[in-house]
Amino acid sequence: MQYHLNLAHLYGDLLNTYSDIGNILVLKYYAKQMDTDIDVQIISLDDDFDPDKFDFALFGGGQDYEQTIVSKNLPNKAAAIKKFINDDKPMLAVCGGYQLLGQYYIGADGKKIPGVGALPHRTETQINNRFIGNIRIKNEETGEEYHGFENHNGVTFLGEGERPLGKVIEGHGNNGQDGSEGAIYKNVFGTYFHGPVLARNGNLAKRFLLLALKKKYPDADFSQQEALEIKPTY
Amino acid sequence: MALKSKLAIAAGKSSYWFLHNVMHGGTSLPGKITLAIDPDVLKELAKDYEIVIVTGTNGKTLTTALTVKVLKQKYPEILTNPSGSNMKQGIVSTFLSAKKVKNGKKIAVLETDEANVPIISQYVVPTAFVLTNIFRDQLDRFGEIYTTYNKILQGIKMHPQAKIIANGDEPLFHNLQDLPNQVVYFGFDNQPDQDQKAPANTDGVLCPKCNHILHYYSRSYGNLGKYFCPHCGFERPELTYRMNAIVDQTPQSSTVKIDDHEFTLHIGGTYNIYNALAAYSVGAEFNLLPHEITKALGADDKNIFGRQEVVHVGDKDVTIILVKNPVGLDQVLQMIKTDKNPFSLAFLLNANYADGIDTSWIWDGSFEELPFDHIPSVLTGGERYKDITFRMRVAGVPEEHFAQRPDLKEAVNYIKQMPTKHVYVLATYTAMLQLRKMLADEGYIKGGME
Repeated sequence: MQYHLNLAHLYGDLLNTYSDIGNILVLKYYAKQMDTDIDVQIISLDDDFDPDKFDFALFGGGQDYEQTIVSKNLPNKAAAIKKFINDDKPMLAVCGGYQLLGQYYIGADGKKIPGVGALPHRTETQINNRFIGNIRIKNEETGEEYHGFENHNGVTFLGEGERPLGKVIEGHGNNGQDGSEGAIYKNVFGTYFHGPVLARNGNLAKRFLLLALKKKYPDADFSQQEALEIKPTY
Repeated sequence: MALKSKLAIAAGKSSYWFLHNVMHGGTSLPGKITLAIDPDVLKELAKDYEIVIVTGTNGKTLTTALTVKVLKQKYPEILTNPSGSNMKQGIVSTFLSAKKVKNGKKIAVLETDEANVPIISQYVVPTAFVLTNIFRDQLDRFGEIYTTYNKILQGIKMHPQAKIIANGDEPLFHNLQDLPNQVVYFGFDNQPDQDQKAPANTDGVLCPKCNHILHYYSRSYGNLGKYFCPHCGFERPELTYRMNAIVDQTPQSSTVKIDDHEFTLHIGGTYNIYNALAAYSVGAEFNLLPHEITKALGADDKNIFGRQEVVHVGDKDVTIILVKNPVGLDQVLQMIKTDKNPFSLAFLLNANYADGIDTSWIWDGSFEELPFDHIPSVLTGGERYKDITFRMRVAGVPEEHFAQRPDLKEAVNYIKQMPTKHVYVLATYTAMLQLRKMLADEGYIKGGME
């Protein structure tokens, strides 16, 4: 392979509830077709996160208990995660990972749990309700439609400088009120989509890979990679 | 006995008699009638029994059946509940159906739904609790493994005199030792020690003591294994009963040694070895001798192992296997891998409520590890065939060996043309029902639908 990317899987052994590991398999699948191989490293509780060693990152969601443990460990890595994001490196944050990048979320016991604070959104809780079901959104910039499955109690409200990943066509999205789903901030994509999100939406996987490639190899010609045809999988 | 209980039991027994002998059925209705008259009747019904409660996410049914089979070597009359009747009503019905035991011990082995353990425990005085494992299940994916464990614990705490017979390879069960109960552990001891971690998508790998990531000397599957915490020294407890060698495995059988006693279990799957080991442990705790136990476990009993069904479709032996959650799926993939002959594979995926409406879980199965050079034909079908098709593509199924048939009738026709004698059909719940109906309509399954 001509190109090589290093992927940080943040707390990948704890935030693993909704088969989001599939996102990594899918990234590898498309990367291969883009003449790229990917090295994956889990950055867990006892590991340091060196933002300069990685080209892109994945941050998934987990069970309440595991997420509480992660949130207590996050202050050790918050500065590194912020640097990574401010360096315009791509990150995909799903569900719990998306919530944890923001200001705070509400735990199962009703207590406010602080996040990394790298993104301005905040996540409140719904009483005795979850948004569960298929969801479809449209990304306003590209016109692309994304499919997924949402399953969350948290309701997220975007902050200044964030724009939604898409507008809800079917389903609930961030909060069931303002028609937004997910967040884009610099090169971070936040979303509630499972499915996994990149398995259902190959075009998003391609966009994510291209961002990482262009960032790492600014002078390379990726026209062939850009021409890769993504067949619908859903 | 209180008059109310007498009345309730009489009503329940006669309704059981009527349903069983006249209607040839009768599952939970007699229990319902009896409970309506006297909600506390279970106390009365169960009072003379030695009770073994079998619970956990996977393996309850087979562990219960094998335990009954083992204990029957010494105690001919064992009361047990039919698979699925594992909540309060079903258990009351089971006692109502009991024959009079003339002499000897009265023993009841009860498969019990995890959430019903604290409920049943209010009424009966168990001699032993048997705990298989705790995994995340498909339909309650936001129900946490810790919540399930605490439910079981709640029941056990009502009975400090009861013995606990638990899977020692399950890290969550380590803390049972803090209870006043006597705890006996079983587990796997068949691999050399080698420091390793569980794969990233494994649930429940936090050290229950210090919340660091657990390591393993050896792993069997999921988060089960000879675990230890390099951070605080927490480790798998001493085992009383151990499976110490897997001599041979096929999708239909496992030849193993438990405490050096070799026997062949006539059902495949590593997870079923745990069930046999659990039954062995109960037998040993009831003072049966090793050879008595392995004789029972080694018998090829179609009534017990009939769940994994082989249907003869033309010249094909089609094994239909239900898949419903990530750990279960992964275990099935591991099991079919042990087939020594080339085989064909089909996966029928639906996403109705009973299947789990989120299909993400198929990504937790290690399809990548399947020996595709040994699998000349792969088929995907069902309402959500697109999801499973892409999953298989990513896993590396060669396109020339790969077909998609969303329509089940066409899928069945395709299966008939597959190039190997052995065909494994993995199906979600409603897809399996549809497939069975189709095979019954075409006369391949005798007696139609059960």
